[in-house]
Amino acid sequence: MQISEGCDNGPRLADSIAQWSQWQLLDSLLPTGGFAHSFGLEAAVQSNLVSNPDELKTFIIHVLENTGSLLLPFVHLASVSPKLETWHNLDKILDATLTNEVSRKASISQGSALMRVGSAVFSELPSLKTMRNASLGSGTISFHHAPIFGLICGTLGLDSTDSQRAYMYITMRDVISAATRLNLIGPLGAAVLQHQLAPNAEAILEKWKNRDVDDACQVAPLLDTVQGCHGYLFSRLFSS
Amino acid sequence: MGNEQEDKEMEMGSIVVEKVGGRSSVVHCFSRYPVKFIIPKKVGSSRTDVVWVYALNYGGGIVSGDQILCKFSVGDCCTMVLTTQGSTKVYKSVGSKCSKQLLEARVGSNALLAIIPDPVTCFSTARYYQKQVFNVSSNSNLVIVDWITSGRHESGEKWDFDLYRSINNIFLEDGEPLFLDTMSLEKEKIGCIHELVQDYQVIAMILLLGPKLQFVQNLVQDKVKGIMSEQLQHPSGALSHKRNEAGYFISKPSLMASCSVFGTKIAVILNLDGKVMISNYNIILWASSRLEIMELVLSSCLLRTIVF
Repeated sequence: MQISEGCDNGPRLADSIAQWSQWQLLDSLLPTGGFAHSFGLEAAVQSNLVSNPDELKTFIIHVLENTGSLLLPFVHLASVSPKLETWHNLDKILDATLTNEVSRKASISQGSALMRVGSAVFSELPSLKTMRNASLGSGTISFHHAPIFGLICGTLGLDSTDSQRAYMYITMRDVISAATRLNLIGPLGAAVLQHQLAPNAEAILEKWKNRDVDDACQVAPLLDTVQGCHGYLFSRLFSS
Repeated sequence: MGNEQEDKEMEMGSIVVEKVGGRSSVVHCFSRYPVKFIIPKKVGSSRTDVVWVYALNYGGGIVSGDQILCKFSVGDCCTMVLTTQGSTKVYKSVGSKCSKQLLEARVGSNALLAIIPDPVTCFSTARYYQKQVFNVSSNSNLVIVDWITSGRHESGEKWDFDLYRSINNIFLEDGEPLFLDTMSLEKEKIGCIHELVQDYQVIAMILLLGPKLQFVQNLVQDKVKGIMSEQLQHPSGALSHKRNEAGYFISKPSLMASCSVFGTKIAVILNLDGKVMISNYNIILWASSRLEIMELVLSSCLLRTIVF
């Protein structure tokens, strides 16, 4: 049997390289500014809604639940159709859907950073840079996080379910990171918690994945209110 | 929303308000069972140009499987208020049927529509779906109060219903979405609703849109900021253990409120979670009666002290 090295290794090599890119996208080392946001945790602590480890765990689950119900549709649709028109449409709808000012601003700041970093880092995918430049000029695109995350995942070759799972992953990663910086939990405890919550996050993903934006909804009204209170905090560590 | 035929079957009420002789007047009013409109002639000061509409459901509530559609049109420069005579009770679901209440409203240029009903109370196992769609012009004004209580307190029902979904969508003239908000509390999907809402008994959303409401928007923003800043402590560091040992007992705030600006800075939405019992409806902090809200809004000046 002849082994032709060239064409046989081609696709496998491409897949392997793609995995490096996918892991980099989820790595907290990527400078996207995710750590400026506490997802309402700081406000929850200051209003005594979270004051012990059980309440912290419950809080994180609620954040994940609301992420699933409200934001996964945007990640899903952007990842299956990583095109300019789809992205712009989703961005516009999400801007009207994120009625909470604090969450909306956080989404815009994270999305802008992610698009800037993504288009610079994954330079072998010129579409990202092209789309970014086309949108900066227009002034009507807000650069919301969820659609951009889906867009980049789709462009990197992740399928829709993996893209949505990835979004749940980084959300959980960022809330838990915020918890350690707020001194609610130590680094080892945080890692243990992150692993414990993986099945919860997966179950939430199963429940809310692959939905249309028309179905996007809030399921945690108290969380939404708490997140909106961030601006009233006297002293704060996070921007949201 | 379904085809025209479905719409016709579901349409239980419609009202059109236009200027007649310089005053907001009802030029068309239709309602059929189970909906009834009451339009009193004299409400509030005669100086204010406004049409007040009370919407009632025969039987005092929404029965399992009811599908109700009401359409409203508020002409240019007109003012209309839509309210209720008592809280909207949603009775228990029979055979897993969902009750639906749909509202479509068109608000003209420089017009004001205020939807300020009593809260919705879903009984145990109730399934309720509410959708309100507003088509507005760039200078339309809109007040929407959308609120729900935890249930029948006397019967010990707290967040015991099966489904509550409330949708409020606002579109501009060109069809562009301005505000898309859906809240969904579904026992089957999220398990114990009580856990998501904790000890709060009321959830309310108040939306203020439009140039005529600028003064009220500013007032509300300042008021909420003032109340919440007081409630929020300084950061305390590590969790629970130290507190428990020292014997602290720190309670959660009885009211959680946040006020957001959206759109092109001409609108404000307010989310409230009130811990009060349903017997006192003092959830709306800045007016103890609907009349006060409207007088405040219409005359754009402070008539009464805003009382908490």
